[in-house]
Amino acid sequence: MSRPGFVLEVDDRTPPLLVHQGLGFRLEDSFPLGTRVVYPPESISCVPDVEEAIRDALLHPLGMDPLPELLFAGMKLTIAFDDISLPLPTMRAPDIRARIIEQVLTMAADAGVDDVELIGANALHRRMTPAELKHIVGERVFRSFFPQGKLYNHDAEDRDNLAHLGLTEKGEDIEINKRAAESDLLVYVNVNLVAMDGGHKSVPIGLASYASLKHHHNAHTMVQSRSFMDHKHSAMHQSAWRMGAVVRDAVKIFQIETTLDNNVFPKPYDFMMKREWEWSVKDQATMLGMRRGLSLAPAKVKHKLFHDLRSVYGLTGVNAGEVEAVHTKTLEKVHEQHLVEVQGQSDVLVMGVPYLGPYNVNSSMNPILATCMGLGYYFNSYLDQPVVRKGGAVILYHPLNEGFNQLHHPSYVDFYEEVLAESTDPAVVGAKYEQQFADDPWYRHLYRTSHAYHGVHPFYMWYWAAHAMDHVDDVIWVGGDRRVAARLGFRAATTLSDALEMASSTVGTSPSITYLHNPPHLLAHVR
Amino acid sequence: MLALEMFRSLPRTVAGKAVGSRLPGLLSGYAAPLRLVTIDPPRVDRPGWARLRTRLSGICGSDLGALSGRTSLYFSAVVSMPFVPGHEVVAELLDDCEDLTAGTRVVIDPVLTCVVRGVEPCDNCAEGRTNRCSRITVGHLAPGLQTGFCKDTGGGWGQELVAHRSQLHPVPQGYSDEQALLIEPVACAVHTALRAGVRDGDRVLVSGAGSVGLFATLALRELTGADEIIVVAKHGHQRELATELGATEVVQPGEVLRRVRRLTGAFQLKPDFSSPYLLGGVDVAVDAVGSRQSLETALQATRAGGRVVLSGMPAPADLSAAWFRELEIVGTYASSQHEPVTGAEGRSRSAFDLATELVAHDAVVQLAKNVASYPLHRWREALDHAHAAGRLGTVKVAFDPRSS
Amino acid sequence: MNFFSDGVHDVRQVARGWRWGRRSQVPRSAEQFVLPQRSTVFPSDWSRRRPAMLAREVAQKGGLEPLFRSQVRTRVEGLDILERIQGPVIFVANHASHLDTPLILLSLPDAWRRRTAVAAAADYFFDTWWRAVGSSIVFNTFPIDRRGGSMATTPGEVLDQGWSLVIFPEGTRSNDGWIGQFRMGAAFLAHEHGVPVVPVAHRGTFAAMPRGQGWPAPGRRQLTVRFGEPMRPAEGESVRDFAPRIKDAVAALLDEDRSTWWEARRRAATGATPDPSGPQVAQWRRVWEQSESPVADRSRSRLAAWRRS
Repeated sequence: MSRPGFVLEVDDRTPPLLVHQGLGFRLEDSFPLGTRVVYPPESISCVPDVEEAIRDALLHPLGMDPLPELLFAGMKLTIAFDDISLPLPTMRAPDIRARIIEQVLTMAADAGVDDVELIGANALHRRMTPAELKHIVGERVFRSFFPQGKLYNHDAEDRDNLAHLGLTEKGEDIEINKRAAESDLLVYVNVNLVAMDGGHKSVPIGLASYASLKHHHNAHTMVQSRSFMDHKHSAMHQSAWRMGAVVRDAVKIFQIETTLDNNVFPKPYDFMMKREWEWSVKDQATMLGMRRGLSLAPAKVKHKLFHDLRSVYGLTGVNAGEVEAVHTKTLEKVHEQHLVEVQGQSDVLVMGVPYLGPYNVNSSMNPILATCMGLGYYFNSYLDQPVVRKGGAVILYHPLNEGFNQLHHPSYVDFYEEVLAESTDPAVVGAKYEQQFADDPWYRHLYRTSHAYHGVHPFYMWYWAAHAMDHVDDVIWVGGDRRVAARLGFRAATTLSDALEMASSTVGTSPSITYLHNPPHLLAHVR
Repeated sequence: MLALEMFRSLPRTVAGKAVGSRLPGLLSGYAAPLRLVTIDPPRVDRPGWARLRTRLSGICGSDLGALSGRTSLYFSAVVSMPFVPGHEVVAELLDDCEDLTAGTRVVIDPVLTCVVRGVEPCDNCAEGRTNRCSRITVGHLAPGLQTGFCKDTGGGWGQELVAHRSQLHPVPQGYSDEQALLIEPVACAVHTALRAGVRDGDRVLVSGAGSVGLFATLALRELTGADEIIVVAKHGHQRELATELGATEVVQPGEVLRRVRRLTGAFQLKPDFSSPYLLGGVDVAVDAVGSRQSLETALQATRAGGRVVLSGMPAPADLSAAWFRELEIVGTYASSQHEPVTGAEGRSRSAFDLATELVAHDAVVQLAKNVASYPLHRWREALDHAHAAGRLGTVKVAFDPRSS
Repeated sequence: MNFFSDGVHDVRQVARGWRWGRRSQVPRSAEQFVLPQRSTVFPSDWSRRRPAMLAREVAQKGGLEPLFRSQVRTRVEGLDILERIQGPVIFVANHASHLDTPLILLSLPDAWRRRTAVAAAADYFFDTWWRAVGSSIVFNTFPIDRRGGSMATTPGEVLDQGWSLVIFPEGTRSNDGWIGQFRMGAAFLAHEHGVPVVPVAHRGTFAAMPRGQGWPAPGRRQLTVRFGEPMRPAEGESVRDFAPRIKDAVAALLDEDRSTWWEARRRAATGATPDPSGPQVAQWRRVWEQSESPVADRSRSRLAAWRRS
């Protein structure tokens, strides 16, 4: 039985609360009385039989013919799927995408389809390694397609393999993967972990080129996306939807969207998902043991410990068919799983930035990604209005000490050392440097041949946080490296009390405080 | 007269070689082959020579190198022990000297050329390239490449010294002593900048933001058509100074390669077990430190066919890039009387001439204000300060023998 | 060093935050979201295993018994019935004081005592770990829910494992020393598991240490305890009929203890056994009467120091 999310008010009976903090966590006992703590709902019920649910979705799609009827011999079939940035943490094998793709391919084989290619829709994300691809599509699919070069990552810089599909009514270029665009049927397999995923964000963004992405991935659009977890009020999604309308006319897309429950931490880390006052003695002991272990462990061991964690997600829903019809259904489930009602805004928003975000799977949470995670993803986890008032303060927990992964984030280093040293204003930064980074031949080379994020990607991370930076006056990192925080344009404090004192110049000495107790994911509906 | 004298001391030199690079402060402070002595003032009774009273004398990186034994033994043949160091000198004439009257404030071009030594000018001296003089060990003076390395002339770290008229450059009215003190290092920087062969629009990397690097930046900005000048600075205040002196980018030592790569759109390679390097990079790199790391950075960040200028006394380094990338490695030593810059009359001008103009630059005037001067008897403190000058925020540390 | 001091800090923080050794608390605003209490009772199986039994033997013989006898005097009657039957049985007794349990346990022959468990209110004895552990070790208690919820261990299971039970069917200590309503639980268990019920009546515990008092009153008060004939439900007798018979048996034993066996039998035969729930008079008179200790048999009391009884 799953309990809904709710808003706790810290009182004298409240035990210390868990706050995620990079490769570790902290027990915070200095939340002032009256602090609101938003807890996500517990995992909702899952489908009883995953295989059956997938088959049912494929045979009874929304607004389209059943999949077997869309498949015919001699056709060109492309299956695109979400990349490694979803879900977070990575799902314990078998991945839901593998199970769907296997069923799709079974139907395709029955229909006699020969020309099939599988494309990881990684847009400007790093290319996935073979092992990562294998994890997503499953061993069977991998063995059948990868050696033949029919299973590969999308390349947003491969001029020969991009197709320009025209312009939207607002003049935005639509350029996506050529193979996908020229297929008789494009099947897109998604994992709708949070509300921003899926819909027209899948094909028009996941398979797009830089030229097409820059229309919605920029500081201006992101400031106007309020929030990007709410596609109806997100300028980025509106642009994607405009593109989707055009893409839909050019390409036949069979969208398959899946939703997962909130079961993100497997045993023995499951205490992190429990409400603290319900921790058993065993949970407390595990927590204490982990704290000690983490304090002794070298950074590498901690990194491995956390990044090897695989979640045992349950599938809460799978829908297939026409993009928008499917996405409406999907969002219902996502909202059921994540939505928490919050009454009114507060002066201060507290969030713990965990070890993992979409862009550091098997990599390190560098300061820019940490910022993106806190001020981008978590800050924007709202509907209607931000949890913190305009001109308020945000307090984030993260040590900011993980450094940069040279393999995955080469352009981030330069962005941090060069661009942020000059300005931290997303608009200024974008205007002056974005093009330079986007066109840098070395970044392009690394993106296309190595496993690096595209040169322009750190800018997107910074834009992601643009709305938050615009909205609040003060950002303070608890436990953060002071110099790093300063470079990011923020401040650092040792404890929450210090941070609140620092923030008092912005929000006064007795501000209202809200702490978002995630992960697991939550979406605050602020009335 | 009171002077600091450098003398031959095997144990100290050996010790300096052994641990000088690791404990430079301790060594130069307590085990340097230097002593405060009372000696007879130097005398040279020949025409054209005059006695001078030191007003200020700077501590140069090469002085510290010599004291801590880091300088190559290569130079042992061109100095004469014991000598009074100090080749950055502002002094006043005690005697009339040809056209200059006693009491005139002068700076010294320390190079001891053929003219000074009273021998027939060698080919280089004849062409005005005095810093390349090939007779620095002969003539009526003891061997010594410069004033401050020769036992007959004395040096700036003593109360009195002697100099030849050809070495003297009067200080214009209105210049402070500190400003004047900077003329010699700036003259060297001028020479460096002009040796660097910078063409208009070139990108230049200056590795190091001590006085050599900072003045090189100034000279490059003022005298060449360099477009972007990237300065590698370790310390915060050096960053500001470099920007004021004309740098377009100031980067941390650890960031150099990435920044250059980004700026020039080069490709970065990572060889096994050693530091990465660029294919592509800046057109000209100036090593203004003289450490192995700094020189290698310069080699790694320069484009094929580019030029690497050795402005500091260099340390051994991996020269593979010089071969593979066909780099021109150019040394620059001291300053020349005829630089490849022509004045109003169509004659080439001396580096001191140009430098005298440059030290009137606002940023240099500001910089001159925090020259730290010490009396001679506090030489240990002064040397320690000079060692840590970058960190402490001082560009130049000097002795003021008058106050002792 | 940091490692240890941080560890100590963490443990302290958790001990304080989660109120170790005390009842954990739920923030007020979270109360409506707390799941209905599942069993928060501590398991007690361990207390009937060999190590716990060993510890109990030590605790009872070395601690409880000397202490108990130093504070009160006891007179035990009717133990002979235990020689005639095999365990397990259910001892059903009236309940007036915390002294009842040690009184009954220490009155039993060792062989019986070692195989006897005491049903104790889960909400009182089993809501903190230290009380649960303490009472399990010393008295061999196991939890029963007096509000009718389900338990980690049911009395039936304990019976089936061959343990005799002590059950106080009133469910709680008497307010005034007189017997209250008997619940059906004991009768039900006897009926269900086919074990005999041994009625037990005791007097004087209320006078020695009534509810609300933490230690026996000074002066080594006299306690009496009397075991009655084992009872089994007759063929076809329902629980509803059997339960009052048990109460009557206890009442008769009380009467016997107060007077003599013969008198009590005669009164019982005529149905004139005094009502064990006491006379319907003013409360103070009820308490007054019960607060008087049974009169000791002086000639035997001297021997009590070295002879049981």
